[in-house]
Amino acid sequence: MKNRKIAIAIGIVLLVFSYLVYGGVKEAKVYYLTVTELKERMPSVYREKVRVSGKVVPGSIKKEEDGGLRFRISDGNETIEVRYKGVVPDIFRDGVEAIVEGKYSPENVFFANVLLAKCPTKYESADELLKNKKENT
Amino acid sequence: MVEIGAVSITLAFFVSVYVAVASFIGARTGRREFVRSAENGAFGVVFLLTVSSSALVYALLTRDFSLKYVASNTSRDLSTFYTITAFWAGQAGSLLLWAWILSIYMALVVVYHRKKDRLLMPYILGTIAVVSSFFVYLLAFVESPFERLPFALEDGRGLNPLLQNPYMAIHPLSLYLGYVGITVPYAFAMGALLSGSMGDEWIKGSRKWTILSWTFLGIGLILGARWAYLELGWGGYWAWDPVENAAFMPWLTATAFLHSVMIQEKKGMLKKWNVFLIIITFFFALFGTFITRSGIVSSVHSFAQSDIGPYFLVFIGFVLVFSFLMFVLRLDSLRSENRFDSILSRESAFLFNNIVFLGAAFSVFLGTIFPIVSEVVRGEKILVGPPYFNRVNVPIGLILILLMGVGPLISWRKASKENLIRNFSYPVVLCILVMLALFIGGIREITPLLSFGLCAFVVATVFLEFIRGVRVRVRRGENPLVSLVKMVSKNRRRYGGYIVHLGVVLIVIGITASSSFVVQKEATLRAGESMSVGNYTLRFEGLNQYTTRSKHVTAARITVYNSDKKIDEMAPEKNVYRFEGNREINQETEVALRSTFKEDLYIILTDFDSEGKATFRVLINPMVSWIWAGGGVVVLGAVISIWPRMSERREEIVRYSVEVSKNGTVKI
Repeated sequence: MKNRKIAIAIGIVLLVFSYLVYGGVKEAKVYYLTVTELKERMPSVYREKVRVSGKVVPGSIKKEEDGGLRFRISDGNETIEVRYKGVVPDIFRDGVEAIVEGKYSPENVFFANVLLAKCPTKYESADELLKNKKENT
Repeated sequence: MVEIGAVSITLAFFVSVYVAVASFIGARTGRREFVRSAENGAFGVVFLLTVSSSALVYALLTRDFSLKYVASNTSRDLSTFYTITAFWAGQAGSLLLWAWILSIYMALVVVYHRKKDRLLMPYILGTIAVVSSFFVYLLAFVESPFERLPFALEDGRGLNPLLQNPYMAIHPLSLYLGYVGITVPYAFAMGALLSGSMGDEWIKGSRKWTILSWTFLGIGLILGARWAYLELGWGGYWAWDPVENAAFMPWLTATAFLHSVMIQEKKGMLKKWNVFLIIITFFFALFGTFITRSGIVSSVHSFAQSDIGPYFLVFIGFVLVFSFLMFVLRLDSLRSENRFDSILSRESAFLFNNIVFLGAAFSVFLGTIFPIVSEVVRGEKILVGPPYFNRVNVPIGLILILLMGVGPLISWRKASKENLIRNFSYPVVLCILVMLALFIGGIREITPLLSFGLCAFVVATVFLEFIRGVRVRVRRGENPLVSLVKMVSKNRRRYGGYIVHLGVVLIVIGITASSSFVVQKEATLRAGESMSVGNYTLRFEGLNQYTTRSKHVTAARITVYNSDKKIDEMAPEKNVYRFEGNREINQETEVALRSTFKEDLYIILTDFDSEGKATFRVLINPMVSWIWAGGGVVVLGAVISIWPRMSERREEIVRYSVEVSKNGTVKI
């Protein structure tokens, strides 16, 4: 049967696929944690690459001499100190939901090599929209 | 106006439901009057939704801040252009746009197909009407663009500055035309499944609709990449962001579908596969809309979120279950008319092209939903980032380029040795020569070497096709240029396809060069100081600060020298919006870009201080403009292949030419 050759070839392609996906996941996986979860995993997490999200603590953003950035993020429960150098997203500022990726060091500083900021959702309730206006005027 | 808009949405819902019900009754009972009434209903829906859309545009333009939608997305200082584009800046407006485009497609399908495809038509119409009912239901009862505030505001919150970019204004529109357009071929497939007439009619009827929506999706992807490149200011254009992936997945499966339908048309094979592919493509289109709109995964592109997620999940579930149920019921009538004769044949090249495309789509899907799956399965949220997508998709991409060269030239059924030598010796030689030249030129990384080599291979095969076709005609005494034009215009689909392939090659070259050979440098300069990057020397002249109508601008003046010769002046900016409503964005970075076909000089002003010191990040991105140019070529090819034919006789000619090419010769 000629179709058997095709079937074998398809099988090989699928195997290669699975290998690529498996290897890719293994290499690229990053745990996505809240600040509290990070603290809970404290000793083991030090060497792992993780992604942490939390609100930027208002007033904590400081610029360093070398152009780097220092700030704290919090999930309302726990807070960590973050250091970052690189492109800062336009929407990054006090109170915004920030996502950092990098490693947590034993000195309790998070060294981030990726900084993302989530767009505050446009769809607030009508009440909030009205309240906002009053404060501004 | 607002009341009229709201009322017509509600009416449009009931008419949509009516169209669906009447179509199916008409189809089941065979009573023409039901079908005719449903067809008229389709025009009713498009009319009503046009009225609502006009009402929304009117409300936006008159700055009716008593509407929540208008107040949330516009402000008085917004220009007229962006006030209109605010139509699709938010959730409810985007949904209205979806529904409106769908109703237009529905009406067009009725106009073009009601005479031609009588048997399928009621089912096709019914299927589109069901989808339309779902979207209009959301608009009418869940997320209305005409929701009022308790009292009118003085001014609105303004449009997100990131969306105030010409690309962002048209890119969602194009993507939506693509997403929504997929509904049409899906409806044709469902029409075939429901009516039980499983011939090629559904494929013939829906072919152009598929290419059309595929083209729009492609344009949307390219424009989205260009927007990210210009506006997000990190130097790249593609980040495997969930929302990018969302549009990429249906594009991948639609591409697979466009190829595999050829096998069904020519050989009567892959019938099940085609039905399966179009169902999956429609699923990805819905899933894409869902991802973009539900906020279930975090993304840089999603600007609106709300609680319509659950509705979508239910609808997607319904579509999947129903489609596959029908699919299984009709499996018997989807038997293949032919078998694969050899692994070295055009049939199997197309089959592998399909498997690889589907595999790519699936791997992207897996990566996109990985956080959700891992949270459900293991209780931990695990992400897979760009390294995953690159690792999986780069090899897949290389295989696809190879197949792109092999597919059009290898013979049907079984390729003989002569066929292989005749068609592939020049391209293979060119491929090796290019790789050798690049290797000597100093490129040592395996991925770019392979990629450029394979691109040369594809270009050679395409040119071979063109040259042979023209040569045959020239031998008959025609002028080469005339014969080229005639040849293309008589076989639009085929040569249009080749032109698309050339465009894809340009894009691949651009992606390969810009991802493999980026030069990046960061420096903090005082006025008068210089930095050098690559061949360029950049002199920072000083900061310019001024205020325009809508923003406080800080622009860094930079003079660009290329080895002592002044070639340009550039001014990257950092802007603060004056208007409070826009303050959710702290600062807006405007990059400065100097683009040539060789490379882009991309300057970001990352920081500045009151003493006039400024920090720049400078990137030299090679050959990025090839991506945009390639996009243009792809669109050109697509337009050529869907351009209406003079007569249907041409179809016979295409078939005939393929028959001949079995012997290894290509004659027209």
